[in-house]
Amino acid sequence: MNFDSREFDKLTRQAAEMMSDIGDVPILLRSRLGEHHRISRAADEMLTGIETLVRELRSFDASAAKPFIDKAFIDQDAGETDFVVS
Amino acid sequence: MHIPEADLEYLIRTLSEARSRATELAVSIGSRLGGEHRLTQLANSAASGIETTLREIRNGVAEKQDAQPVPRKPEIHTSSPVVASFAEVSGLDAEHWLPAFVQELLAHARLGGGITFERVERLLQQRKDEFLRDFLIARRMYRTYPHLFPEFADRARRATAP
Repeated sequence: MNFDSREFDKLTRQAAEMMSDIGDVPILLRSRLGEHHRISRAADEMLTGIETLVRELRSFDASAAKPFIDKAFIDQDAGETDFVVS
Repeated sequence: MHIPEADLEYLIRTLSEARSRATELAVSIGSRLGGEHRLTQLANSAASGIETTLREIRNGVAEKQDAQPVPRKPEIHTSSPVVASFAEVSGLDAEHWLPAFVQELLAHARLGGGITFERVERLLQQRKDEFLRDFLIARRMYRTYPHLFPEFADRARRATAP
């Protein structure tokens, strides 16, 4: 079975892109609502969570990890997730 | 709460897209490492954080609009004639998501919102998010109670058999 670290590189890249795309959301909310508003705080926490995910993905050694397979519901193809909707 | 309409549109669109991407990431990571792995939990937590922010913004908007009459959200029934006829013409099952999606889109248009690329994208994204959420719940149920899904267990055994 293949457990390709390149797949994790791709996932890491996708997470980093998402972090970049969403990065100005907390800034915009702070400028409109102030930094103490509950929505601004929620956005800050959101970004912190995504930054943690990206950092952990970057430091993750995929080649040393034990793969987990769940073929009953999901079919993986080169890092893409294909869902069969019927 | 005062956020200009254009900013709100941008925020909701950006967060909706990010939520979908984060959910897909969580599914991809979970399928490789399992639901208990720290990375899977971090990915789920990230998706949840986006969901929370989006909900907070929507709640803020709803509070602001409390004094104004809210247009009634169209109810979608798979037994409605439009859904049934579209399903019949397209050859799809009446329970399939596409007829219900088309019906919802037409209902929004009838309420005066029109049909724009942006609205179609947003509605489709909502359908996809709902599907992903249901998918994650179903998968969790399958893992927790595999004996309740003997047909899937048989299929999985056949798929992994040499």
